[in-house]
Amino acid sequence: MMAIVVVQTAVIAVLAVLVAGLLHGYAGVLRRLHQLDGGPEAAGAGAGDGVEVGYGAEGVGGSVAPFRTSAGVAPPAVRSIERRDEWSAGHDIRGVTPAGEIVHVSVAGVEHDTVVAFLSAGCAGCEGFWDELARPGSRPAPPGSRLVVVTKGPQDESPGALADLAAPGVDVVMSSEAWSDYTVPGSPFVVVVDGRTGRVRGEGSGGSFSQVVALLAQANGDGRLAAVTRPAVRKPAADREREADVDRVLGAAGILPGHPSLYAGAGGADGPVPARPSVSTGRDGR
Amino acid sequence: MTTTPAQADLLQGWGISARLRPSWEGRLFLRDSPQADYSSPAARAAAPGSPQGGGQGWAGERTTPVLHLGNFPLPAGRGDFGTGAMERMSARHAFVALLVFGPEEVGTALFSPVGMPRPRPVDFSPNALQQRLAGLLGYQSFFTLEGRPMCLYAVLGSASHLGPLSAEVNAVIDGIGVS
Repeated sequence: MMAIVVVQTAVIAVLAVLVAGLLHGYAGVLRRLHQLDGGPEAAGAGAGDGVEVGYGAEGVGGSVAPFRTSAGVAPPAVRSIERRDEWSAGHDIRGVTPAGEIVHVSVAGVEHDTVVAFLSAGCAGCEGFWDELARPGSRPAPPGSRLVVVTKGPQDESPGALADLAAPGVDVVMSSEAWSDYTVPGSPFVVVVDGRTGRVRGEGSGGSFSQVVALLAQANGDGRLAAVTRPAVRKPAADREREADVDRVLGAAGILPGHPSLYAGAGGADGPVPARPSVSTGRDGR
Repeated sequence: MTTTPAQADLLQGWGISARLRPSWEGRLFLRDSPQADYSSPAARAAAPGSPQGGGQGWAGERTTPVLHLGNFPLPAGRGDFGTGAMERMSARHAFVALLVFGPEEVGTALFSPVGMPRPRPVDFSPNALQQRLAGLLGYQSFFTLEGRPMCLYAVLGSASHLGPLSAEVNAVIDGIGVS
């Protein structure tokens, strides 16, 4: 009888240790997920028992985003963006829309990157860009970034022509000042501004957004930019099945990809005009 | 549109100005006058099958300026009360709209408070939203300033950041001028 009690006690003790270990591990996973999720307490998690490392990414106001490792884990080497100081400065965009709206667009000191497309209503090379913007379902800017089309001011461009050319929902700002600020050599010209640093990460020209953004992604090795031209994440099977179900129901109702009802207010368009692109990567070599 | 450094963060037009805080952006607009399909607002309301909320104007109708400010990207197409922008707000975002109403509203009970309101954290509520969206808090106040009837409408992205966002909104309101 005594032996059974002893064995039982030992088993319970072992199970208690296992449960405590599991709970501890689970708490660690949750804490790490919360940190990855950018929770407000993320920066303070583990304070006092880890090593803080500046990751080279200045936040708004010049603060350095903290990166911590647990006690006993060697911190990674501090990584900085090579020659970032040489990147030219981005500028907020001030102007008016073709409808007469007075606009101030913030591109520096913000959470998102901004793709600034300098276009003109009359330039032949801009046709591919306007076409791509008008294409139903088109998403020329990378995920998490914002697209702003900037033309010259009302003294140099016709607001009426731009209103006819720009698809609904496309943010068009008329600003000769922005052309001067970014030293734009001519249209079409695309500049990508890093929102957190307020610096120009890349700039170039081509026949369409897809071309320019893909080239900038290659030049920068930037996954966020590259995501515009390829699927970013493999979807879970349940999501794929759900989408397939939706596609099947829509297809049965005669609503297929490209159907006008899927894109309220957008019209059809031809593909982009192929052209030989050129690109530079955020240096002051304009 | 040449600006000096002092003007760089100033949005100005139609008797309204707004000095933008860092990371905030703004848009100030005046809608086109609608086609005058009716002789008066009463005639439009009485017309059978007339759309609720308008869409067709009346003779002599004048549009009034609308100011939108936000610490997030304001999209090109927005309603006067920020529809189209509010859907893009995250927890740390705030939106401020100042809407000017027509002179016929001067002296009415709704616009009887005088001076720019200053919302307190406790004043923000989901019930004050024009369009209720999960997590957002709203505030709206009708008042008269410089003889112009107006509405101040503010939206905060989350109750968890109520204090800081409320302070930020008040700082933004401090930078608004009406003449």
